[in-house]
Amino acid sequence: MELNGYKQEKYFIVKAGGRMDAISAPEFEKSCLEWIQQGETALVVDLGGLEYMSSAGLRSILVVGKKLKSIGGSLSFSSLTPNVAHVFSISSFGTLFPVYDTLEKALGN
Amino acid sequence: MRNRGLGFKLILFTLSGTTAVFLSAFLYFYMSAKDVVKRYVVRAAQHLTHATAYQIESMLRGVEKVPTNYAALLSAGNYEAEDIATLPERMVSANPEIYGAAVAFEPGAMTAGNHYFAPYCYRKADGCLANVMLGHESYHYFTMDWYQIPKELNRAAWTEPYYDEGGGNMIMASYSVPFYKERQGEKRFQGVVGTDIALFGLQEIVSSIRLYKSGYAFLISRNGVFITHPDSSLIMTNSIFSIADEENSSLLRSIGKDMIRGGEQMVALQSGLLLTSKCLLYYAPLSSIGWSLGIVVSEDELYESVHQLGRAVILIGLSGVFLMTIIVMVIARHITKPLKDLSATTVEIARGNLNAALPDIHRDDEIGILARSFEEMRLALKEYIKNLTATTAAKERIESELKIARNIQMSFLPKAFPPLPGKKSMEIAARLEPAREIGGDLYDYSLIDRNHLFFAVGDVSDKGIPAALFMAVTKTLLKGIAETGMDPSEILRRCNVELCGENDSMMFVTVFCAILDLRTGRLKYSNAGHEHPIIIRRGALPEYLQVPDGFFLGVEEESRYQTMETQLRPGDKLIVYTDGVTEAMNAAGELYSHANLMKTILSCSSLSVEEIAAEILGSVKQYSSGVSQADDITVLAVSLTGT
Repeated sequence: MELNGYKQEKYFIVKAGGRMDAISAPEFEKSCLEWIQQGETALVVDLGGLEYMSSAGLRSILVVGKKLKSIGGSLSFSSLTPNVAHVFSISSFGTLFPVYDTLEKALGN
Repeated sequence: MRNRGLGFKLILFTLSGTTAVFLSAFLYFYMSAKDVVKRYVVRAAQHLTHATAYQIESMLRGVEKVPTNYAALLSAGNYEAEDIATLPERMVSANPEIYGAAVAFEPGAMTAGNHYFAPYCYRKADGCLANVMLGHESYHYFTMDWYQIPKELNRAAWTEPYYDEGGGNMIMASYSVPFYKERQGEKRFQGVVGTDIALFGLQEIVSSIRLYKSGYAFLISRNGVFITHPDSSLIMTNSIFSIADEENSSLLRSIGKDMIRGGEQMVALQSGLLLTSKCLLYYAPLSSIGWSLGIVVSEDELYESVHQLGRAVILIGLSGVFLMTIIVMVIARHITKPLKDLSATTVEIARGNLNAALPDIHRDDEIGILARSFEEMRLALKEYIKNLTATTAAKERIESELKIARNIQMSFLPKAFPPLPGKKSMEIAARLEPAREIGGDLYDYSLIDRNHLFFAVGDVSDKGIPAALFMAVTKTLLKGIAETGMDPSEILRRCNVELCGENDSMMFVTVFCAILDLRTGRLKYSNAGHEHPIIIRRGALPEYLQVPDGFFLGVEEESRYQTMETQLRPGDKLIVYTDGVTEAMNAAGELYSHANLMKTILSCSSLSVEEIAAEILGSVKQYSSGVSQADDITVLAVSLTGT
């Protein structure tokens, strides 16, 4: 999984690509928690390049989301691929976290 | 060469090398030294010979002067017989070297009528002088060498040496000078002034020449006869040619000829009568008298000093080589002993005994480094194996724990198909294929009362033992709550609240649960983030069951769930599964996907639930053959048979 994060205005954008499964999800979780530790509270996760998300990935997202909620931060998603969108809809993640079609729309908020 | 060890090879090659070098140097030196000595001796012999020859010739020249002067006088003047008669005595008395002197006239030259006229004076053994008249029938002096040769040659000449029988058995040679009378412009031979010279003075000069131990000088006459020789038996009796004949040596013969001819050179001779060992001969001519002087030197004696030196050097060399052998052996041992110890220990280590202690080598050279490196390697190896053993043991522990977890998982799942005695109105089949690392899938079904079947399928988010335990807890909760007769949505809600209670690890579980009324066929169901089940209505194509939205269990305490209902008719089948089915991967990394699942179900939709479950599982396994299973695979199929 490719993972990079960069600051843009008041948001911290996390770009994840490839696959998020039991092997790569812990890396996602660890990196996000580190960024949160460094002071980022408004995370936007762009999944434009992510083809596959397993339940392990969902779990890591939940951990990050819970952490952000506890410090009054926010977590939103953008550019979901069809596979990942399906997973999100089944798991009703869409009701828990805001999901946008594009990164611009996510940042617009 | 067989494996004789480093030490042996070291010694052998070092010694061979140094010995070869030493020998070559020695031989070169030896040859050169001999050469130098020989050249020196040639020069020395040359000088000696020339000096001696010069000495002899001076002496002879002195002697020659007397008769020469008298002959000149006689040629010049007039004289009477009485004057002539006194001449010999005068010559002898005035010159100690002259042993006898004569003035011999041609027949009738002195006094007409006198055939012979040759007054002769000689020294007696006692030293007195005696005068005689030479010439009578038995002493026809005209034909004698001392008279005839100068007459014929018209010049002075030496005779061959001879033994003087009359005198004290000395070797003599005569020197005669012709004199003439000039008449009417014509020189007429008158006679000869002859002198007998004793050669022992000459002999003394020559015999005093001594070279080294056995070297000597000798003189040979015009005919090659020995005039002087250390072996007096040879004198006057043998010539160089007779010796050559005796030895059968053509070399000696040609040397003799060359000596008489007046040649001069150095030759090497084998041992023989001249000398009992190999020798060198240098000869030079005494040209005035026609004799030759030879000097003989023994080669062995000549080279004695060189040989001595050579022996000393060889001795030094040998002791040097011997010393070197010792040193090389010591050094070789110094090197190979620790190597031997080291190699013995490493053989031991190679066999597997890592506790074999390496010998203590306190050296700073390559061997010390080798020993220390080896020791480090041994310790590192030991450490590595220890770690490996620990890791393997830990791994085995985990393996067994996983086995236990799997057993926990499997023990919680109902296995009896058909499970429900007496109930022919429905059929249920389930398959759960656990992954290596337990994925936490669960299924359950039971009759909560006579008419109601409760069934559920779930998937825990994590893997391993925590997932197995969470799965067990969830399952128990579901069943327990279901047995109180609540609606599926309520079952999920309450279960969720319980799970959220102590869920720091953020594990969640997806669940599809349903309650089927066996009398009416009414199915009530609720969903918590689980895969949409597939329903095959009789006579229709399989399709996805519409499920309500619902969040995973175990995350949000306030999550709400809904119950949906649908009517099942006899022949209808419901297939519930986990994402282990749709997310199974093949060797190319492609997912089995919903499409394949639908396709498979389509192909076996008319079969019994047992067969459908088996078919789906078989298809998934075949699809992902060669790839190790990543997640649990669960299929639960329910059909309403009823009347």
